[in-house]
Amino acid sequence: MPDFSPEDNKLALKVVFYGPALSGKTTNLMQLHSLLNPERKGELMVLETRDDRTLFFDMLPIGLRSRSGLDLRLKLYTVPGQVQHDSTRKAVLSRADGVVFVADSQVAQQDNNAIAFGNLEDNLDKVGLDIDALPMVVQFNKRDLPAVVDEAELQARWAGTPWAPLAMASALQGTGVIETFRTLLDRLYTGIDAEFDLAGKHGIDRATFIGRLSASHGVDDA
Amino acid sequence: MRNFEDDPTLSDLLTPDQLQRLSNGLSALCRAPVVISENRAGDAVPVEFNLETVGWLSGGASAVERGAAAELVSFLMLFVAKYRLAANIHHDTTEASYAELQRQNEALRASEAKYRELSDQLQQKVDEQVAVIRQTQQELYESARLRSVGHLAAGVAHEINNPVGFISSNLRVARDYVQNLEPLLPETAENWELLEDFHDLLNESIDGTDRIASIVADLKTFSSIDQADNALCDLNSLLRSACHLVQTEHDHRLNITENLAELPRIPGHPSRLSQTLFNLLDNAARAVGEDGRILVRTLADNTGIQVIIQDNGCGIPETIRSQVFDAFFTTRPVGSGTGLGLTVARDTVRAHGGQLTLDSQEGAGTRVVLSLPVQQGS
Repeated sequence: MPDFSPEDNKLALKVVFYGPALSGKTTNLMQLHSLLNPERKGELMVLETRDDRTLFFDMLPIGLRSRSGLDLRLKLYTVPGQVQHDSTRKAVLSRADGVVFVADSQVAQQDNNAIAFGNLEDNLDKVGLDIDALPMVVQFNKRDLPAVVDEAELQARWAGTPWAPLAMASALQGTGVIETFRTLLDRLYTGIDAEFDLAGKHGIDRATFIGRLSASHGVDDA
Repeated sequence: MRNFEDDPTLSDLLTPDQLQRLSNGLSALCRAPVVISENRAGDAVPVEFNLETVGWLSGGASAVERGAAAELVSFLMLFVAKYRLAANIHHDTTEASYAELQRQNEALRASEAKYRELSDQLQQKVDEQVAVIRQTQQELYESARLRSVGHLAAGVAHEINNPVGFISSNLRVARDYVQNLEPLLPETAENWELLEDFHDLLNESIDGTDRIASIVADLKTFSSIDQADNALCDLNSLLRSACHLVQTEHDHRLNITENLAELPRIPGHPSRLSQTLFNLLDNAARAVGEDGRILVRTLADNTGIQVIIQDNGCGIPETIRSQVFDAFFTTRPVGSGTGLGLTVARDTVRAHGGQLTLDSQEGAGTRVVLSLPVQQGS
């Protein structure tokens, strides 16, 4: 849930990158760290890894300050994907305002995707969040690999869910990562604006919210 | 409650000693002393960590020095905070896991206790059932034995009846003959004594045969060996026979008062009714012991017949009153009571369309009322 402290005029939001092991959650975050150029961007904290696998979580804080003086923060977290770290996943997931579910596009990984998605549902339920009400984007990562499930098939499969259309990405190549993030910001904005009147009180409309939080180096780099 | 993800303050990250040491180190590097504090002072620059101002750094010889020092502190904070975050989440998850483990342990213990209880109950139930089966076997055996003894007794009674009949009649004739012989004998004291004694002998023998005849009659009534299964029964005579048999069982020590009204004969199973009356009287006899009184009364009106058997014996304790009609319930020592007496009695009375009611007060006595309809079943 959004953490608003009126004395500091600070609004902190939490977005969690969830998904099966090795689906590229940390890679998404690392790419966001290097591609994004929002107003304010903190250090990417890669907490602890073993053999390049996340043990606790990674965290990237970004933020903007409105003309009204609102200090808007967005903390992006990843969870450890390996099955045995379930209690850590649950702790990181608690009080989340939005979720990016990073799935693995490879044909052989579809079962793991389903298991991880079920785990997400369970854990959301345990930390008191409703999967149908929570802003969420489902990203199918690793589109650059050869043996991946066809995009049309994936889109058709998820068409009936609240999370259609799916985001396609290749985090390692840096493609689709920012688009995924923008879709999430878009879905996140609706609820936050309704609760805190971002547009009315703070002059942050939807385009500003998305644009300023996901400004990228892209233009300069191109 | 603080969460692992809450932005840390300066005091969360560094102890006062560590902060002092850091200030000292920076002061040594800069040309003027440096102070790090959570409060903003005059020329202080913010020390930022994760977009958050965690403290203020003042002092130093120039803004460049302050800026460089603040940057260095921020850099250090990153690693301190990393460790702190990891430690916090580790602590949180460990606690959550431990709590979960305790919950599971609790649940496991509860279910184990439940199963243990179930298994104990099971053992107890099995033991109870085994006891019931054993007792039933014993009772079956005994009732079969009793039945065969009953048949034997009835058969013997039937066979004895004829000889007893002619012995009795012969004895009476013999007494007449002795009377006829009396004037023919010389009147001596010796003869007179002899005749007197002869008389007594014959009279005692006649008494004896009468008693044998009465016992045989009772046995025949009771076992109903010569009666059809369904016949018109005279309850009074059944009751009298039952009373005699109970007296015989208890060595004629019982004080039974009979107060029998004239009753219409009713259709029924004489042997089963006899058994019922015997059971009720036997219960009363056992309740009163040797000093008590048993009152047996019969009444009749347009609707039916009532047999009332009342005693002033020990009564039935309230706690077991609801069980007395249960099959195999008995207060008597194993082997001496079947626990079937009242069960059979009630079943018989019901089979005759009647009712058996029991009224008892512990220490004061018991009254059993057996009601039977006159026009049964039609």
